[in-house]
Amino acid sequence: MKSAYKFGDILRLGLGSLALHKVRSFLTSLGIVIGVMSIIVMLAINAGAGEKAQQELRQMGSDNLLIKSVKPPEEDTGAAQERGASSYGLTYVDARRLQDLPGVVRSVTAHLTKKAAIRGGKTVTVSVFGTGPTYMYLAKLKLVAGRFISAADLLRHRNVCVMTRSLARKLYRYEDPMWRSLQLGGQAFTIIGLVDEPGRAVATVAGDVVSNLVFVPMTTDQTRFGKYMVERTGSGQYIELVEISQVILQMTDEKAVVRGAKIARSLLGRVHDKRDYDIVVPLELIEQLRRQQQLWNIMFFLIASVSLVVGGIGIMNIMLASVTERTREIGIRRALGAKRRDITTQFLIETITLTTVGGLAGMALGLISISFVGKPLKIVPIVSTATLVIPLLMAVLVGLASGLYPAMRAAKLDPITALRHE
Amino acid sequence: MTELLRFRDVHKIYPVGQEGVHALDNINFAIAEGEYVAIMGPSGSGKSTLLNLLGCLDRPTSGQYVLGGEDVAQLSDDEISAIRGLKIGFVFQSFNLIPRLTVLANIEVPLFYQGVPRARRHSISRTLAAQVGLGDRIYHKPTELSGGQQQRVAMARALVNNPLLLLADEPTGNLDSRTSDEILGLFDKLWEGGATIIMVTHEVNVVARARRIIRLRDGRIDSDEPVARAEETP
Repeated sequence: MKSAYKFGDILRLGLGSLALHKVRSFLTSLGIVIGVMSIIVMLAINAGAGEKAQQELRQMGSDNLLIKSVKPPEEDTGAAQERGASSYGLTYVDARRLQDLPGVVRSVTAHLTKKAAIRGGKTVTVSVFGTGPTYMYLAKLKLVAGRFISAADLLRHRNVCVMTRSLARKLYRYEDPMWRSLQLGGQAFTIIGLVDEPGRAVATVAGDVVSNLVFVPMTTDQTRFGKYMVERTGSGQYIELVEISQVILQMTDEKAVVRGAKIARSLLGRVHDKRDYDIVVPLELIEQLRRQQQLWNIMFFLIASVSLVVGGIGIMNIMLASVTERTREIGIRRALGAKRRDITTQFLIETITLTTVGGLAGMALGLISISFVGKPLKIVPIVSTATLVIPLLMAVLVGLASGLYPAMRAAKLDPITALRHE
Repeated sequence: MTELLRFRDVHKIYPVGQEGVHALDNINFAIAEGEYVAIMGPSGSGKSTLLNLLGCLDRPTSGQYVLGGEDVAQLSDDEISAIRGLKIGFVFQSFNLIPRLTVLANIEVPLFYQGVPRARRHSISRTLAAQVGLGDRIYHKPTELSGGQQQRVAMARALVNNPLLLLADEPTGNLDSRTSDEILGLFDKLWEGGATIIMVTHEVNVVARARRIIRLRDGRIDSDEPVARAEETP
């Protein structure tokens, strides 16, 4: 009971000394305020950025495997351009083999061509995906109006299409695009549905994120547009032959995803002599991203910790000066019965109070400033308990570490010498 | 009279140079409860060293210092701190008050380190402040007080723990003669109330009030004799 009284008194004493020099206390703890604030901001922004990227990948589904045709780099050379045609990527045979992999639940293929969409006087180059009904589920497309391509559409080679909402807005502006007619590559198509913008993994073709997506039945695509994609270049035209642009496989579980990816790699590696395909495993990417984010976290943390350490050194410096300044007081207290540990406690309480209050202020400032930092980066910061508690604990530890030496020095003072100090 | 403290073959050597400085050389004496002792001597005679040892601020290099039945030299630093807080009251020449604390807070510092609850500390300190005539100044800072008033605060602080021994180091050295008389009057009153007082001084008017004078010279006791007060001599 006795020591409890004493601790409360010593705490009040420490706070009193800090209150006596308000400006000095404020300036001393500023390093900690900034340190804690920057750690919180960096961790929250990094967590937000990581979550954003992970969400995009998760949209692809962690039980999915995505195999895409990629234009091999050597085809970009002038020789190929001169020949005027290039053939690469996944073939029908590849697609069938991939669909037969063990553990495949559902699968779908898509063939991509670029076409001109004309509506009124407006012409927009669009990316046409010839595909089947399951594409909507496997590519995790979100239907916002009408319906997606049906089996009947495939069977009857219907001229129907589904487009993204942003493309519809571009073409129809204020009108309702549903059931309207659209001229696509010289053919008239009826718009039967609208979807939201797909995730990046689906919409990335040959390294670029394609926009203006239009989905048509693959049978219609084959009969109306053929396998070739003709692109006009400055010197003439350039023809590409890609049989299948994408194969999406939905696997039974995550284990099957890993195994399937392995088999797909060796299977395609044997058949293709050039690297004209890409296997995207969202599961692997999510893992990779998580590791990367952890690495960033550690780095940000270290950078921001430097300011905490600098703040700690500042506090130690001020506390050492304070010990010198109060040498006589320490002598008086020792002469009147203060034990060494009473003196140590008094000074430690002062530094820990400085850093804790500084830490709490940094926490508040951090919480306020993350939204300002996040907005221009288009990141929604994520603040977890650990994001707040860890920097605060660090601040307290810095207080303890930086206060210990000055406190011990104060406690070691010889009462007689201290009393003589002017 | 019961013996309060005893010095037995006490030496104090400060480690300066190769041989060291022999500040106290074979000191032997005892002081009983209720004595009023003046320690005198020229500067450098070892007065302050002796007072530091008496006040447990320092330990003898060799020899024994028994205070209230305990050999101080054998105690740990914490135990010695506790003795200072519980058994000894200090009055310094330069008052040694803590400038940022009020009169009340200064008086209660020794109680603070004994873990006495705040309310009780306040009531004890208030009573003492009133006793030394500063009842209406308890919330003033030392800088707002005169030298005499500051020394009264120091005396109240020295008495707050009801000490066995009151040590005073030139308590009137910084005061004018009128204030000195007031302070010495306070010491007299305390002594009459039963306090044991040991005072280092070289002022004659102070010495005149003591009942025993120990004179030091070059670290040794030159003389140790009782004095009869003027008014008591027939």
